[in-house]
Amino acid sequence: MQTNDNNSVLSMLISIIVSFVIALTFFYGLDHLVMSMQGLPLNPDLSPAG
Amino acid sequence: MNDKRPSNQPERPSTQIRWGRLLWFALSMLLLVSGLAQAAEQDTTLDRITPIGMVQATGEPLTTKTTPDIADVDTAEPIAAPRPSRSDYPDIGVSSRAIVWILAQLHLFFAALVLAVPLFVLTIELLGVYTGDDRYDNMAYEFMKISLTGFSITAIFGGSLALALFLLYPDFMGYMMHVFGAQVLVYAILFFLESFFLYTYYYGWNAFRYGNLKWVHLSLGLMLNAAGLTIMVVANSWATFMMAPSGVNEVGAVVGNIWEIMKGPLWNPINLHRFIANIAFGGAVVGAYAAFKFLSTTDPDKRAHYDWMGYTSNFIAILAFLPLPFAGYWLMAEIYAYSQQMGITAMGGILAWLFIVQAVLIGTILLAGNFYLWAGMSRTDGSDRYKGLIKYIAVTLVVCFLIWVTPHTLILSASEISLLGGSHHHILGPLGIMPAKNVAVNLMLVVTFLSFQLYRRSDKVATVSWAPMGNALMVAIYVVAIVNIIFLGVYYGYFTNTVYKVGSSVAQVASTLVVIIAGIVIDTLMFRNAKTLPSHWGRIPDRAQYALFALPIAFTWLMGLMGYVRSSVKTHWHVYTVMKDNSPDNFIPTIAYAGNMITIVTVLFLLCVLFMFWVANLSSTRQAKPAAGGAV
Repeated sequence: MQTNDNNSVLSMLISIIVSFVIALTFFYGLDHLVMSMQGLPLNPDLSPAG
Repeated sequence: MNDKRPSNQPERPSTQIRWGRLLWFALSMLLLVSGLAQAAEQDTTLDRITPIGMVQATGEPLTTKTTPDIADVDTAEPIAAPRPSRSDYPDIGVSSRAIVWILAQLHLFFAALVLAVPLFVLTIELLGVYTGDDRYDNMAYEFMKISLTGFSITAIFGGSLALALFLLYPDFMGYMMHVFGAQVLVYAILFFLESFFLYTYYYGWNAFRYGNLKWVHLSLGLMLNAAGLTIMVVANSWATFMMAPSGVNEVGAVVGNIWEIMKGPLWNPINLHRFIANIAFGGAVVGAYAAFKFLSTTDPDKRAHYDWMGYTSNFIAILAFLPLPFAGYWLMAEIYAYSQQMGITAMGGILAWLFIVQAVLIGTILLAGNFYLWAGMSRTDGSDRYKGLIKYIAVTLVVCFLIWVTPHTLILSASEISLLGGSHHHILGPLGIMPAKNVAVNLMLVVTFLSFQLYRRSDKVATVSWAPMGNALMVAIYVVAIVNIIFLGVYYGYFTNTVYKVGSSVAQVASTLVVIIAGIVIDTLMFRNAKTLPSHWGRIPDRAQYALFALPIAFTWLMGLMGYVRSSVKTHWHVYTVMKDNSPDNFIPTIAYAGNMITIVTVLFLLCVLFMFWVANLSSTRQAKPAAGGAV
């Protein structure tokens, strides 16, 4: 019983971490894409490259 | 559309031959292709933003020919715009501008309503066909019944406006007729077409109810909308020609064909903005009807029906409202691109204060729309899972609302400036500029969508195995999007140059849209075959209905306000840079005067809407036959 609960919590934790990694990567890429489409390139740290 | 509706209805007969569907499909494709062809024919960005006529500070034309003569007709030499003097404007004892203002705005209000209602009526009818639920069909029919009187009122105000314009601004109208020529007759033909499709669509509703005939009916609705939208875009070309003329030279002489005159730089931004705004406006007005009917009956079945109708109306209004600020941004960006002077007049001069009033009204709309959703969650037993989040949404809405209404430049006396230590407050000052407002607007839209999402989830329990992962992903998208919107606004808005500041607002919009699209996609997939919890239509506090009354009032005032701003940016020109306004009213009035005018028009419109509701109610009322020998 205890093992099942631990697995469930671990599974939830992994889901949350994976979700945040996906979301962060997506929005990071989105910022680069949208700004560069307007002729406003960004550095990897998101500061203006222009 | 929410599926928490009253119980089901009998199925309809099926048909073997699907010619009705083919007709619908062919017409849809035809309209889609013609719409795409129009959009594809746009010029390059450079062509669109290059002003057709240079701003003439002195108003002096480059050529002297201003009046036509017989020789002009023979040689077809371009004729410059007229230059009327003060005495060329008839004086009827009251302000010509006030008369035209009232008539034009009332015409536009009703035009917006009667263009929007058939759009969502057709969608609801189509939904009824696909779900096989007659109640969608009945509700769509009731929406049409409400708006039917509106078509006549639109025509009455339109005709009155035309007469007033020809009487009070003869030179200007003569010039507009000269520029647009036979296009105005096309406009008249479109009215005939719209009337034909309107009456066959409305009166044929029950005659064309099932099978192939239903598809014929849907095709009539499609053509009604096509005619209505074409009328809108044609009329928009007149307004945008006055703001940013194209197809004419610097003195207003026609040098292009009618298509070049119509497709000015602001035409499509206005088309999109009005299209979306009309739907939101139409949804809000019919929502008030549903609220009125809900409050005026004690019959549980009727309350359930009008509760559902009110919910649907609010759904339409708020859903259409969510992308509206983005269409507004596009319009303002094109205005700035066309003429920086015009843009600054709108957002940096006297009219800038009206954008603060706009923020108050939009905040009212969002608060009312959200409140209605929160109150509506009491319909379902499963909503308790989400009610705890409402307070956080409310706090976010209020904080963002306060940021949005914070003005940048205050009107202060010398002593007040001294007390403040400058013309800008050290904390409120930074909140008065666009980066802070962009953050506020986007966050308000994100949390409004969250309210929608919670409402839609409240009567469902996901049964798919990946539901925890789906929920985690949705939470992550919300959190990261909100952080991203704040980061973009604060970092690029306050710590980089202006170009990046402006560019980052597009990325903010993209973040908001990602939340909305991701929310719809994830919920659609995650709640497929979900367990449905009981919901009870009609179980909603009466006070929620007052939110449905607040929506159309705020929408109407807002449309009046922003319509005034759009028109006023021309300042002292009838047609910007090519035909000067020399009438006694060729100035931007005080904010108080404009506010009073907008209020008067709003009250008049609401009175007309009450009349419209009364007439709609009257048609379903039958007087009881007097008893024999009784008093008549």
